[in-house]
Amino acid sequence: MKILSGKIMNYKTLKIDNLDLFFNEIKKSGKNLLVPKKKGKTTYFSSFININDVEFNYIQTTISPKSALFPKVEELISFKKDDGTYVVTEPSIEKETIVFGLRPCDAVGLEYLSNFFLNEKSDFTVRLRKENTTLITLACKNFDENCFCTSVGLSPASIKGSDICLTDIGNGLFYAEIITDKGEKLIAEHSALFSNAEKINKESYVAQVPLKFDSDNLIKNIKNYYNSEKWTINSLPCLGCGACAFVCPTCTCFNIEDEANPVCGTRLRCWDSCAFGIFTLHASGHNPRPIQSNRWRHRVLHKFGYSVTNMDTLSCVGCGRCIRVCPAGMNIIEQILDLQEA
Amino acid sequence: MENNNMYLPYLMKIDKITCEAPSIKTFKLKFINKEDEESFNFKAGQFGEYSIFGEGESTFCIASSPTRKGYIECTFREVGKITSALANCEEGNIIGFRGPYGNTFPIEQWTGKNLIFIAGGIALPPLRCVIWNALDLRDKFKDITILYGAKTADDLVYKYELEDWKNRNDVKLITTVDPGGETKDWTGEVGFVPHILGKYPPHSNNTIAIVCGPPIMIKLTMPILMKLGFTNENIFTTLENRMKCGIGKCGHCMVGNNYVCKDGPVYRYDELLQLPLEY
Repeated sequence: MKILSGKIMNYKTLKIDNLDLFFNEIKKSGKNLLVPKKKGKTTYFSSFININDVEFNYIQTTISPKSALFPKVEELISFKKDDGTYVVTEPSIEKETIVFGLRPCDAVGLEYLSNFFLNEKSDFTVRLRKENTTLITLACKNFDENCFCTSVGLSPASIKGSDICLTDIGNGLFYAEIITDKGEKLIAEHSALFSNAEKINKESYVAQVPLKFDSDNLIKNIKNYYNSEKWTINSLPCLGCGACAFVCPTCTCFNIEDEANPVCGTRLRCWDSCAFGIFTLHASGHNPRPIQSNRWRHRVLHKFGYSVTNMDTLSCVGCGRCIRVCPAGMNIIEQILDLQEA
Repeated sequence: MENNNMYLPYLMKIDKITCEAPSIKTFKLKFINKEDEESFNFKAGQFGEYSIFGEGESTFCIASSPTRKGYIECTFREVGKITSALANCEEGNIIGFRGPYGNTFPIEQWTGKNLIFIAGGIALPPLRCVIWNALDLRDKFKDITILYGAKTADDLVYKYELEDWKNRNDVKLITTVDPGGETKDWTGEVGFVPHILGKYPPHSNNTIAIVCGPPIMIKLTMPILMKLGFTNENIFTTLENRMKCGIGKCGHCMVGNNYVCKDGPVYRYDELLQLPLEY
C-alpha cells in the first residue's frame, strides 16, 4: 500500500495557549465542537464546554469519533398516528460540527465510512453530517504496541481525510496544514489566531510507528486464507461482545428498530456488529455464520479483503482500538501474522 | 446521487388478507398515494421492507407479478415480533413499504426456452412472482413446469392458484407432500421434492431451472439437475439472508464481499458457487 497523501492548500501556526480562545470562539459561533474527554479510563469525544475538560493526554481515544458522522443511535424517520393512517416525518438537518483531536488514522477511517455510506445508494443523514463536519486532526507524537497505521499504508503524519491537521512542533506551537475548503473557511473565521507559516518537514515531530505486517502480501493472499484452520484457534477467546465493532472507526454495520408508544414513535438506526450470533440468524433458525470463528473470520476478511474488492481500499486504519478494548485479548495483528506465517 | 431519505417508506393500505396455510398469510397492498403508485416499478425477483409503525421492518419478496399493476402482494410466515404484528393486521390497516430492492430474474433472456420452477415450502412466494410474470407472457416461453412441495397438504400456499395451474393445459404442475403429510383426499405426489424431481425428470435441453427452497432441498436437488444435464449457467435461485436496510449498507446479509440485498437476491448457480458458504 502506498502512503496516502492529499494536496495541502495552506500552512499556518497556532499558539497552543490560544486553543482555549479558538474553542470558545467556535462555541460562541453556535457550532458543535467535539473534543476528547476522559471519564475513568475511557477517552471519548463530547461537546466542548470548558478547556479544563479537554483531554490531551492520550495515544488514541478509546472510542472512535465515528459518531460525528454515524451516531450510535439516530432517527431515520418519525411517525404519528393520524385518523387511521400515519404522518411520517424525516429528521431535521443537524448543525455544523467541528471535531478536534482525532488522529490521522481516524480521519482516514471517517473518509472510508462516509465513502461507504455515500457510495451507490447515498445515505441521507451521513451525507448531511459529512457536509457539515470539519475535522481537525492532531498528528501523533506517541504510539503504543497496538498502533499499526504504517502496516496499512498510513502514518502519524497522514493528512488524508482531514480538513486541518495540527502537529505540535515545540515552543508552544501547533503547525497547521489546511487541506480542504472547509478547513480554509474555518481558519478564515478565526484568522486572528493563526499566523502564516512556511512548509516544514513534519517527520521529526511525529511518532515513528514500526511496521507490524506486510499488507500488500496480505491483500495478495487473502483469498487463500478463507479455509485456514487459524480462524478457529485464534477466535476461541472471542466472547462475541461486539466491543471491537463499537470502537472501530470503519465498522458501519447497523440495525433498524422502532421505538414507539401507541400514538407516535421513531424508527432508529443503531450500531450493530457481525460478531453477534443473531446478526445473521434467519427467521427459520438457520444461521449462515453459526459459530464465532465464522464471525471473526468475516470481520477480518471484510477489513482486509471484501473492502479491497468493493471499495478498492482496506477498511482498517491501524488505530488499534479493537485490540485495546477487547476483554478477551483478541488481537488482529497476531491473527494476520499467524495467517501470513502459514 | 439520491437526494432523499432512503428509509422513508411508502404508505400502503392492506386491501386484502388471504390465509394461505397455518400461520402463513398473503397481503394485497395498495398505495395510499396515487403518485407513488404511478411511479412505482419493479421486476420479478425483487423484495422490500414491510413495516408496522412502532414494531419495525421485515423483509419479504414481492410475491405478485410486475405484469399486475396497481398493487403488490407479499406472503409471510408468522415467526417473530414484526411478522406477528403484521399477522394481527386487518384489511384496511396502513403499513409501510420500502422497495423495490435487489436484482431481478433475467426473464427477457429466457424467451423461447422451457422453464421449470422447483420450490419447497414457504419458498414458493418468490417464484410465484416469476411464474405469473411468465404466464402473463405465456407465448414467449415453451413448456412451463412447476414442481412444488411442502411438509403437509395443509402447508401448501396459494392453494387456489395451484388449482388454477393444475387446470391450465399450458402448465404442468406437480405437487408433493413429505411422507406422512398427505390427507385422505390428497391426489398429488408423496415424497421429498428431489425424489419427485427424479421421478418426473425434465428435459435439460433449452431449459432454465428456477429453484428455491430450504438449504437441504437445494443441496439434494442440485445433483439431480446436474445428472439430468442442466449446467450451472441454466439454474437460478434466490437467497433470503437476514436483511435490515435492503440497500447494501447494514451488513447483515453479507456473504463474502456480496451484499445479497443489492448483488442478489437472485443468483445464477455458477455465481452462487463463487461465494463462501455463508447463506
